[in-house]
Amino acid sequence: MDAETAARLAAGIGMGLATIGPGIGIGLLTGRTAEAIARQPEASADIRTAFIIGLALAEALALYAFVIAIILLFVA
Amino acid sequence: MLTDESASKILESLKELNVQQHIVSIPKVGPFDLSISNVVIYMWVSAFIVFTFFFIVSRRLRKEPDGMQTVAEILLNFATGHLTGQIGEKGKKYYYLILTLFCYIMVTNLIGLIPKPIPLKGYTPTANINVTFGLAMVVFFVTQYQGFSRHGARGYLGSWLAPPGVPKALVPPLNGIFFIVHFMGEFFKPLSLSVRLFGNTIAGHLIILVMLGLMLQYASAIVIIPAGLFVVIMLLFEVFVAFIQAYIFSLLSVVYIESAIYAGH
Repeated sequence: MDAETAARLAAGIGMGLATIGPGIGIGLLTGRTAEAIARQPEASADIRTAFIIGLALAEALALYAFVIAIILLFVA
Repeated sequence: MLTDESASKILESLKELNVQQHIVSIPKVGPFDLSISNVVIYMWVSAFIVFTFFFIVSRRLRKEPDGMQTVAEILLNFATGHLTGQIGEKGKKYYYLILTLFCYIMVTNLIGLIPKPIPLKGYTPTANINVTFGLAMVVFFVTQYQGFSRHGARGYLGSWLAPPGVPKALVPPLNGIFFIVHFMGEFFKPLSLSVRLFGNTIAGHLIILVMLGLMLQYASAIVIIPAGLFVVIMLLFEVFVAFIQAYIFSLLSVVYIESAIYAGH
């Protein structure tokens, strides 16, 4: 297995594995957000702000792996 | 039906999209390459659009706001209330910077989604990690400047140590650990800001380009109809992501500047 094949394989497997964590995290986050808004609809603006912050921070973790996968594909 | 040569030519031109092309080449001065490429031109275009919008609105303020003034008022309320409202009183003067960042990133992302003909050499500046890193560096310098000028070097670096209320024997190693973690965190924050913006923009663009290439490679109706639907849905999602990423960038900048202003409290 030469370097180019190994790089492509690593990009594919790495990106696939990297979406597990953020997927679980965002799913839990959305569930808790929905519960919180159902319990107290008056605070929905604050809850929505916290939800968007948490969403972006969890998404960023998957994006770090995406950037590494892009580097592996196009440079190696 | 597309022949093989025309399909490969189209694929070549698809590969040429979102690639930096020099328009006016200026030779390198040391490590800095000052040539004017399409990245620079599109950055100027978005800056020009944001500037002229607010300039024109501020010149014709009326008692009953018309369309443009309402949009500008909504943006200003959003910046002073929602975004910088978290800092409290000391940070109100940063809403210029935060509003500029927000409008600039949103306009840049939205312009990048408009399909442009090939001679215009279309490019989305935020799909270039240098541009996003530059924006994150601005936030980083503002943060560190505020921290050091408000609290002094000793106070600001002292806020990176362990919080009070720890037994005396454990203080030196805990101080070291806290300091190292805070130190790495300070450098990691602008890096994460830039990679988040870059990754979201380039992911959407790449998915759309790959789907278009797939449609052109297999020019049959079985591939074109689902892939075309997917491309349309991804474009709509990209508009949503453009707004969300601009909002997240400015919101996190506000949080970082706030944590530097109120360091240690």
